[in-house]
Amino acid sequence: MITFETSRFGTLEVAENKVIQFPEGLLGFPEINRYALIDYKDTPLKWLQAIDDPHIAFIVADPKLFAPDYELPIDYETKQTLEIIDDEDLAILVTVRVENEIVIANFNGPILLNASIMRGMQIVVETTTF
Amino acid sequence: MLVLTRKINESIKLGDDITITVVEVKGSHVRLGIDAPSGVKIYRKELYDKIKAENILSSGLSINVFDKIKDVLGDKNK
Repeated sequence: MITFETSRFGTLEVAENKVIQFPEGLLGFPEINRYALIDYKDTPLKWLQAIDDPHIAFIVADPKLFAPDYELPIDYETKQTLEIIDDEDLAILVTVRVENEIVIANFNGPILLNASIMRGMQIVVETTTF
Repeated sequence: MLVLTRKINESIKLGDDITITVVEVKGSHVRLGIDAPSGVKIYRKELYDKIKAENILSSGLSINVFDKIKDVLGDKNK
């Protein structure tokens, strides 16, 4: 287990095999490379909490929650980077926030996870079709 | 900033591996062709900046905002 401080949830403990490595970080946060996905309040939303910065946490959700027909074609290079062998291991999340009472999900910058090796990356999607 | 003048079909090299070619010029639009190794990420800057700004806005949300999103989604699914 590893233990870390968070500004929202106090001290958290997660198993080491639940730590998600983001070798390149997220856009704007290149130096923050370890995150944990935290279930919260029995919702389909989760927190993607930075392990090495207590303040940084993103509200994330499965894009299908907003767009049931969502599909994201993943190119070969991206799969190589994430070492995806079996597509079943690929999970996609989008960050969610609120602006002027409207919920906004960032479909242009989805976060991809390879659940089998707990590695993640954010990609830039030029166009979204679903 | 280095500024270079190029004609159609002329290129510039960025290091040894990246070549950018002017493919077409039409009015104020310039089409560029980019040859780069597969690991190199190429984005239109405004999209890159938008996602970065979106991340920064999304990185410090409070539990109150979480609850608000939860409520909005809950209402939608009723």
